[in-house]
Amino acid sequence: MASSRRTTALLAGLILPTLLAAGSAHAAAGDTDSQRAERWGEIKQQIFGDAKIQSGGKAVKIDAPKRADDASLVPITLTVPDKDNVAELSLIIDDNPTPYAAHFVFGPAADPSELKLRVRVNNYTDVHAVAKMKDGTFQEATEYVKASGGCSAPMGMSDEEAMQGMGDMRMKFGETQPGKPVQATLMIRHPNFSGMQMNQVTRDYTPARYIQKITVSYGDKSVFTMDGDISISANPVINFGYLPDGAGPMKVTATDNQGGHWEKSFPVRSASN
Amino acid sequence: MLRLPIAAAAAVLLVAAAPADSPVGVREPDGYWQGALHGYTPKTLAGATVVDAAQVARLIEEHKPVLLDVSEVDRKPAGLPPGGLWFPVHRNIPGSTWLPGAGDGDLDAAAQDALKARVADLTGGDLERPIVTYCHPDCWGSWNLGKRLVTLGYRKVHWFPQGIDGWQDGHDTAVSRPDPSWAARPKATAGQ
Repeated sequence: MASSRRTTALLAGLILPTLLAAGSAHAAAGDTDSQRAERWGEIKQQIFGDAKIQSGGKAVKIDAPKRADDASLVPITLTVPDKDNVAELSLIIDDNPTPYAAHFVFGPAADPSELKLRVRVNNYTDVHAVAKMKDGTFQEATEYVKASGGCSAPMGMSDEEAMQGMGDMRMKFGETQPGKPVQATLMIRHPNFSGMQMNQVTRDYTPARYIQKITVSYGDKSVFTMDGDISISANPVINFGYLPDGAGPMKVTATDNQGGHWEKSFPVRSASN
Repeated sequence: MLRLPIAAAAAVLLVAAAPADSPVGVREPDGYWQGALHGYTPKTLAGATVVDAAQVARLIEEHKPVLLDVSEVDRKPAGLPPGGLWFPVHRNIPGSTWLPGAGDGDLDAAAQDALKARVADLTGGDLERPIVTYCHPDCWGSWNLGKRLVTLGYRKVHWFPQGIDGWQDGHDTAVSRPDPSWAARPKATAGQ
């Protein structure tokens, strides 16, 4: 099941020669495509009910590596060109056993034009982003990602080590210019144990312990709230945009499924005058 | 085959020193592997042929082998919130029979009988029918099952150590569900 970084590297070595030998014949569209479409239909129904979701639009876009170096750390970028009209953004990793990876609700201090985060990918899969627009309509985008074993990949250290400093937060602010949105990067120290990772020494599964909710606000305005899941990589890193209206501060709260709760305020250097 | 006594001795030392960390020198156990199913496996399986994805594809095209997947079923972690979406899916080589748990090293008598009967059914009792066993890389389950089939007298057993991960890189996969008759075997069995 599991495929650690070490095994992923090993695998890459195994697969490449095979590919060459096989002439890299990619199977034609067949059952796989219809089965993937069918699964997406089932997932959509469970998450969004009967809401009609338009595809092929330009409201949202996903960028992900076609082939991920590390299935437990797959970088995903969600771009929203129509940023003034988006209210919520969902990220779904279809073939993960818990497909609903993250749900963002944007507040008045958000600049939702670009979001970045890192996720675990369990198997070669479609990844979907669904934008809920302020008018209540939904738009989707999809990308196919080749990575496997990310949900069960061990962290390569003991659970105790992985939990050291749990809840520590850092924030990096991008360049600030008066009246312009700013990009910021939030880093939270947290193992985000998926519950599918086996402790390599004891051979027991480490219980799931993951961040369920993150809120980010600027001054008294919300930037976003995020509902997370075990598909979010260890030590979550989220890159987001905000509108620096007023003096701040930037305040972050994070809560995990075992009652962990952390808060931190970050002073913001004012860009104005 | 590079099987010098010195290499073997070195392999034993390596294995003894760091079994989980060393991809080299893993020797075939005398019986079935009884340790954790995830871990580095030997390069060989006595009595069986080790194959890669291209060879499996050719086998499928030319000989319609029986494809046996012994991947474990995704296990729902404790501590997920009620009402959350737990919705696992399993994809493998199209046409495979998924026998989760059949790669355990300590199958009890009832499970062994059930497995023997199921494989006889799938091969039509033909000991010459090619069979491919697989799961994921570094998985002893497919090795154990391959060995069990060799022991049962099947003469064209193929072990595909790269498994699903190696296959899906260049080939189509299909959604699979655990084999119903295997899943319905008598209760007191090991596995899963």
